[in-house]
Amino acid sequence: MFPTRALCARSVWKGPNIVPLPIVRPKPGEKVPPIKTQARSATILPNFVGLKFQVHNGKIYNDITITEDMVGHKLGEFSPTRKNFSYKQTKNK
Amino acid sequence: MVFIFGVNFPEQNLVKRSLETFYGIGPQVSQRIMARFHIHPTAKVGELIQPKILSINAELTNMKIENDLRRHIQDNIKRLRDMGTYRGRRHAMGLPVRGQRTRTQITTARKLNRIERDRRG
Repeated sequence: MFPTRALCARSVWKGPNIVPLPIVRPKPGEKVPPIKTQARSATILPNFVGLKFQVHNGKIYNDITITEDMVGHKLGEFSPTRKNFSYKQTKNK
Repeated sequence: MVFIFGVNFPEQNLVKRSLETFYGIGPQVSQRIMARFHIHPTAKVGELIQPKILSINAELTNMKIENDLRRHIQDNIKRLRDMGTYRGRRHAMGLPVRGQRTRTQITTARKLNRIERDRRG
C-alpha cells in the first residue's frame, strides 16, 4: 500500500512553502489594505485566515479572502490564469 | 441465495467477485477482507458459514463504501468549488482537473467531472 499521494507531492523535510509576506496584524478599529503579492506558490498558513490578498494572475491582481478551508492550499489556486475562449465575429476580413 | 450487506448473491458466485460488486471495494480490499476472515480466494458464496457472513457484514458496515463513499467524494468536490479553487472550477466546467490536455481525449472528464457527481464512477 502507498501512503497518501497528497503527501508525496512535496518532501516533508522542506515543510510548507513559506514566503515572507508583509502581514500586519490589524489593530482593532483599523482597516488593513489587502496584501498585494505575486507569490502564487506560497502555502496558505493558518495565521492567514481572515486576511485579504491580492494575488497576481499574470495580468491583474485578484482579490481573495482567506477562509479556514483554504489552509494548506496555495495562493495561486484561487487566482485563475486562463480566460475562457469565446468566439468573436470579425467584420473586416 | 446469501444475504451480504443488504444484497442477495447467488450461491455459486465467488466471494471475491461478490465483494467487489460494492462501490469502494476493489480486488485489493476484497482480498484483504477475505484474508482477515480466513476465506479461501476461490471460495463460493454458498460455502460461507453463517458466523463468517456476519463478521463480513460487521466489517462492511464499519467501512466507508457505497453511498457514504459517494457522498464523501461529492463533498470533497463541492468544498473545492465553494472555495473557488482552480480544481473546483475545472470540475464545474466538466474538464480535466490535473492539467491533462484538452485538445482531444477528454471524454472521461466530460462524463465524470461535475459538481454533483451522480454516475457510478
